[in-house]
Amino acid sequence: MNPSFHLLIVDDNPADVSLVREGLAEAAYRGEIDRVGDGAEALAFLNRSGNFGRAVTPDLILLDLNLPKLDGLAVLAAIRAAPELRRIPVVIFSTSQLSRDITRSYELGANCYVTKPGNLTDFFSALKAIDRFWFGSVRLPSRAE
Amino acid sequence: MNSSDVDILLVDDSQDDVDLTLHALRSENLANHIFVARDGEEALDFLFCSGPHAERSFDHPPKLVLLDLKMPKVDGMQVLKRVKGDPRTRAIPVVLMTSSREERDLVSGYNMGVNSYIQKPVDFEEFRKMVKLLGLYWLLVNRPLVGQSMPRAAGQAK
Amino acid sequence: MSAAGTKAALQELPPSQAKLLLVVEDSAADAALMLRELRKDHCDVLATVVQTAVEFEQQLKQRRPEVILADYNLGGWSGMETLEILRREGLDIPVIIVTGALGDVLAVECIKQGATDYVLKDGLARLPEVIRRALREKTERTLRHHMEEDLARKVDELARSNAELEQFAYVASHDLQEPLRMVTAYTQLLGQRYRGKLDETADQFMAYAIEGAQRMQVLILDLLAFSRVGRQEMAPTTVDSNAVMKEALHILNAAIQESGAVVTYGELPAVLANSTQLLQVFQNLIGNAIKFRGKQPPCISVQAEKNDRHWRFSVSDNGIGIAPEQTENIFVVFHRLHTRKEYPGNGIGLAICRKIIARNGGKIWAESKDGAGTTFHFTIPLPATGETQGPPL
Repeated sequence: MNPSFHLLIVDDNPADVSLVREGLAEAAYRGEIDRVGDGAEALAFLNRSGNFGRAVTPDLILLDLNLPKLDGLAVLAAIRAAPELRRIPVVIFSTSQLSRDITRSYELGANCYVTKPGNLTDFFSALKAIDRFWFGSVRLPSRAE
Repeated sequence: MNSSDVDILLVDDSQDDVDLTLHALRSENLANHIFVARDGEEALDFLFCSGPHAERSFDHPPKLVLLDLKMPKVDGMQVLKRVKGDPRTRAIPVVLMTSSREERDLVSGYNMGVNSYIQKPVDFEEFRKMVKLLGLYWLLVNRPLVGQSMPRAAGQAK
Repeated sequence: MSAAGTKAALQELPPSQAKLLLVVEDSAADAALMLRELRKDHCDVLATVVQTAVEFEQQLKQRRPEVILADYNLGGWSGMETLEILRREGLDIPVIIVTGALGDVLAVECIKQGATDYVLKDGLARLPEVIRRALREKTERTLRHHMEEDLARKVDELARSNAELEQFAYVASHDLQEPLRMVTAYTQLLGQRYRGKLDETADQFMAYAIEGAQRMQVLILDLLAFSRVGRQEMAPTTVDSNAVMKEALHILNAAIQESGAVVTYGELPAVLANSTQLLQVFQNLIGNAIKFRGKQPPCISVQAEKNDRHWRFSVSDNGIGIAPEQTENIFVVFHRLHTRKEYPGNGIGLAICRKIIARNGGKIWAESKDGAGTTFHFTIPLPATGETQGPPL
């Protein structure tokens, strides 16, 4: 795996973020992982504003839907509206299985939608699949600049 | 096959690549509901329920579109543009699978909303593995767009 | 005699028993005659007499009468106009038209226009009975109206209460999933990370915690599924149950292969049902038939039979059977007949089936002999033409 990958996790549940880190470690992901806890922080990070002046544009964003301040779909819409951010692949990673969330996510431009599995084995498998696919097979866009 | 049951729309003008793709998907048991379009025009007719596919409905989109870039008549980028530009079809996941190494195509593809961009491996075996992974990821790990999924009595209006 | 005098002459009974009568009559003599008839018959009324429409309306407001006697022919107006006034005021008070001569046609017309009854001036002997009957009918009408309102209110409350309960079950099981997911994931992670690294007791503790968490997850998911049955808004459509059957078998494929089960089915009909829920029922019943098997590979047969009110589906198996006294209990939420070691599961599948079938207007029941296979029957009503089928059980 290319060690220079940057992944941004947007999730307000530290326990889930920790699980993702564990899962990615199991998948032998060697890239960087940044994490923000709410929708407003996510946009600040991506725009490198406020405390995030030194943030690196991620190669992939793992986005939860239920976020405080600004919810996942609003973050997604903002990303797709910004010319320098819109190319970044976004994987929705949420517990929601509601078809309206799935449809709305695709409509707003999510690249794919993965439901957080309820048990550990499936959770880790899903992360492994995400790692293999996005960091192994897909050609990612180069960072804008 | 009922055209409302299509899981994958495969759009490619290369017979070899189509055969290889179908073979790879079949080995994972994912090939039951695939429709093959030979060029962009046919793909658009299929997705926009027009021409020879006028009986199709926007309520039954394919779960995935595998789209080659370089095709006669209407090429992949144009198909992508129309699909992602129309609210009726915008949500359909589209994966560009192409031999093109053009960086420019890559960025403009993502900007236009392609769901992922895959380079077709030159190697036969790698190609097969790639397609398997693609199928498994998009149809099993990924939550597909929810269309109609239940069998209905014949003659039932949509 | 003056109107005032008439009134005074008839204050004969205690007001609490007397019915308030409003007489609309411009002839004092006629009024006196009517009231005399009532007195003769000991009719409990407290009467007021008015002559004009204005007086009538005033009296309506002052003391609402319980019954009205109105002359058809008044100086310049008709007693029938009182009906108009009452309608305008939204009042439901019986009006009895009194008249000299009235052809049948006119009489019927009066009734059609809302008069309760009519009496001829040369037949005033009927007056007391007519008034009594009018009052009786009014009382019955009012009582029935109250009962209907009461019933409607109770039905409303019940529906609301049900909705609240289902909402609660849904929200509770939904909200519980998240913390449960954390507990399950981290107990499993702990187990993976530290098994064999602490001591045997710690390993055992972790195993118990993991098992408990996993069981809770399944329970919550089942509860969610159960409470969802009520929440689904999808209206029944015409569903091809053959196709649903195929889908169920497709889903159960692994279990079928593993158990060597043979599932056969006859020609299944198109029915009016919710297709997703019908799938759940097939899946549950056939899944159970496979699960609760005896030593032999499961042999399962699904048939459908029609009578003039419903389709009756039967799912028969050659499994372990159910003791006859338990065939009702098995439908109770979380009720299990066997230990978890013997047969896995939470005991909610049949409760869900019953809820689905009941909501669709049918019944579900089991026939069995302990040790000798079971047949589950369920009914789906035929599309009714006007006839409503009441809720079962």
